[in-house]
Amino acid sequence: MTIPRPPIRRVLASPVTLATYAFLVVPFALGWLRSSWMSPLALPGYLIFVIGTVIGNAIAPRYEFWVYWAPFLAGSFGLATVVGYGYEAWQDERSNEG
Amino acid sequence: MKRRSALAAGCVTVGSIATGALTRPSSGGGPVATARRADDSSDTDRRSEPILEETVHETTLYEIDAPESGPTAMVFGGIHGDEQNGIEVAQEMTDWQPDAGTLVVIPETDRIAVENGEREGIDGDLNRHFPPGGEPQSELARGVWNALETYDPDVVLDLHRSLGIYGVHHQYVGQIVFHSPDARGSALADALNDEVIPWYMPLHRFRSSTSDINGPLLFQAANRELGATSYLLESTSFVLDEDAMNRHTRFGAAKVLELHGLLETEGDE
Ligand SMILES: [Zn+2]
Repeated sequence: MTIPRPPIRRVLASPVTLATYAFLVVPFALGWLRSSWMSPLALPGYLIFVIGTVIGNAIAPRYEFWVYWAPFLAGSFGLATVVGYGYEAWQDERSNEG
Repeated sequence: MKRRSALAAGCVTVGSIATGALTRPSSGGGPVATARRADDSSDTDRRSEPILEETVHETTLYEIDAPESGPTAMVFGGIHGDEQNGIEVAQEMTDWQPDAGTLVVIPETDRIAVENGEREGIDGDLNRHFPPGGEPQSELARGVWNALETYDPDVVLDLHRSLGIYGVHHQYVGQIVFHSPDARGSALADALNDEVIPWYMPLHRFRSSTSDINGPLLFQAANRELGATSYLLESTSFVLDEDAMNRHTRFGAAKVLELHGLLETEGDE
């Protein structure tokens, strides 16, 4: 049996990809805007952001906005795509079996 | 699809704010509330005076004498002029009411640096001007040291800000309590972590570190030369807005006063 491979366009447009992206980015972005809006839901985004800043600082060791946000947004999108891909592949497998 | 993702983002937003409000550490009571209480009918004695008078560095020192005798604590803000949290909190502290002892505050220690919004004033980095075995290395440092010798404090607290996270961003110091060997640095860090750092911001937890006192920093010299129990409280601005950073700094400052007997928080000890 071969593992089904969902097309990348479907993965990118998948509601699961978009929802995961929103979940990683939105709560953290709120907490970043205002510290009192930081919440437990922001924890995954918070951890990705901190990891991103370590990478950003290694590339450009100065405090700059993009240095912190670019790795975070890209990393969150990468993770969301992986989750979306997994979901779409699982859907295909289910429909094949059905 | 667009509408669905907008809806998802909306739900996440609302849920996020709600869970944040429900799980945040409460900040009612505690040493800050004690320090700020308004019944100033007592015999608290407040005065202020210029130090380094008639020099370009002239700045104001505030002295608050509690009705009961007790230790003297001296607090410095604005040793680095771009570290707003320490300046603002030290300014607030001039209205605080200690239960015992004397609170001495210099909110804008390097006033020129504060006015320029820069780390260093015209004499360079003030917090490197107190070398072991030597005189303070600038006119400003000598004036600050004179004030320290005059009050000969039991406790010294110097308020600072870092841009990064301790142990993560290696080019920055990060949030940390540096302290002299006799100080209660770990009790201070524990209190900060319990009271002001939410569990879901684990990398923002404070550590404490006993400092080698043979350095040129003010808090090191205060311990070395005057035997003061001393602290350098470094809060971080990383991811935090001004309110949050000031809250950390303010709580830390009040906790130091409590740990050393200037504040008596109800239900404590
Ligand atoms: Zn500083």
